[in-house]
Amino acid sequence: MERITPYRTYWLVWIVLLALTLSMIVAEGAPLARGLVVSFILLAMLLKVTMIGAWYMHLRLERAALILSVVLATFVTAAALFFLLVPEAISLPQAGP
Amino acid sequence: MTTVAMGSSETAAPVAHWQGGVSPFAVSWQKLMMWIFLVTDALLFAGFLASYGFVRLASPAWPEQNEVFPMLKIAAMTFVLITSSATMATAVGAAHRRDLKRAMVFVALTALGGLLFLLAQATEWATLIAEGARLTHNPWGPAPFAAFFFMITGFHGSHVLIGVILLTVVALRLWRGRATGMGVEVAGLYWHFVDVVWCFIFPLFYLL
Repeated sequence: MERITPYRTYWLVWIVLLALTLSMIVAEGAPLARGLVVSFILLAMLLKVTMIGAWYMHLRLERAALILSVVLATFVTAAALFFLLVPEAISLPQAGP
Repeated sequence: MTTVAMGSSETAAPVAHWQGGVSPFAVSWQKLMMWIFLVTDALLFAGFLASYGFVRLASPAWPEQNEVFPMLKIAAMTFVLITSSATMATAVGAAHRRDLKRAMVFVALTALGGLLFLLAQATEWATLIAEGARLTHNPWGPAPFAAFFFMITGFHGSHVLIGVILLTVVALRLWRGRATGMGVEVAGLYWHFVDVVWCFIFPLFYLL
């Protein structure tokens, strides 16, 4: 990281993070289709993580080699775990609705 | 760097590259070590959350989180953790500007935020234990619910505790004028990671 980020940027990100958190809590109790609520909450969750990584951890100022190493190592593994386990869990006879 | 005899200019470039002549990530070793640690730690939490997801989906019933957890308190804990991330980012920015006094104040505020989070989590644990929740027993239904709660929030809480200790040391070093901008930034990476993990735990465990 070489460039200096203005202090104001950190606090603007903070406001957005709080707004996203609040919207997740409101969405959870909203009378909407469950699939829509879950999708929205997961999307907001990923957006929050991306913002913290990019602005607070300064990944947006790092080389692509570091960004890709961090993001691919974690998200590809997590996604592989998810897509291998979820179908198995749902297919079990005692699985819930 | 070791001197290597080169036969031609074609072989010189790759040899120099892989002997450390070029840094592929262009970051200090301290920062690179912290990133490697964070990636491995992230995979550990990914394993925890994946196993939680598996058991949750495979269970015929699951307790309603609203009935088990005080959501206002959990929201307040989330607010404190996000705010502590903002104060930590400000501290790192100040350290890079060589404004060590401001950096010390914001690192101390971050540690205070972490301490508040831990106190709230301790009271939450105490409440649930008083209501009969154990690693092997859950008064609201399937036993894995309480086991996953204690395992995931306990592991995250231990990270927060380590972070508070680390930040206290960094604040003391800043006060004595012995901390470097890199030291504050590396501590900041760890603290933001703690916040990132909570970004997953909060919706996956408490909301959905």
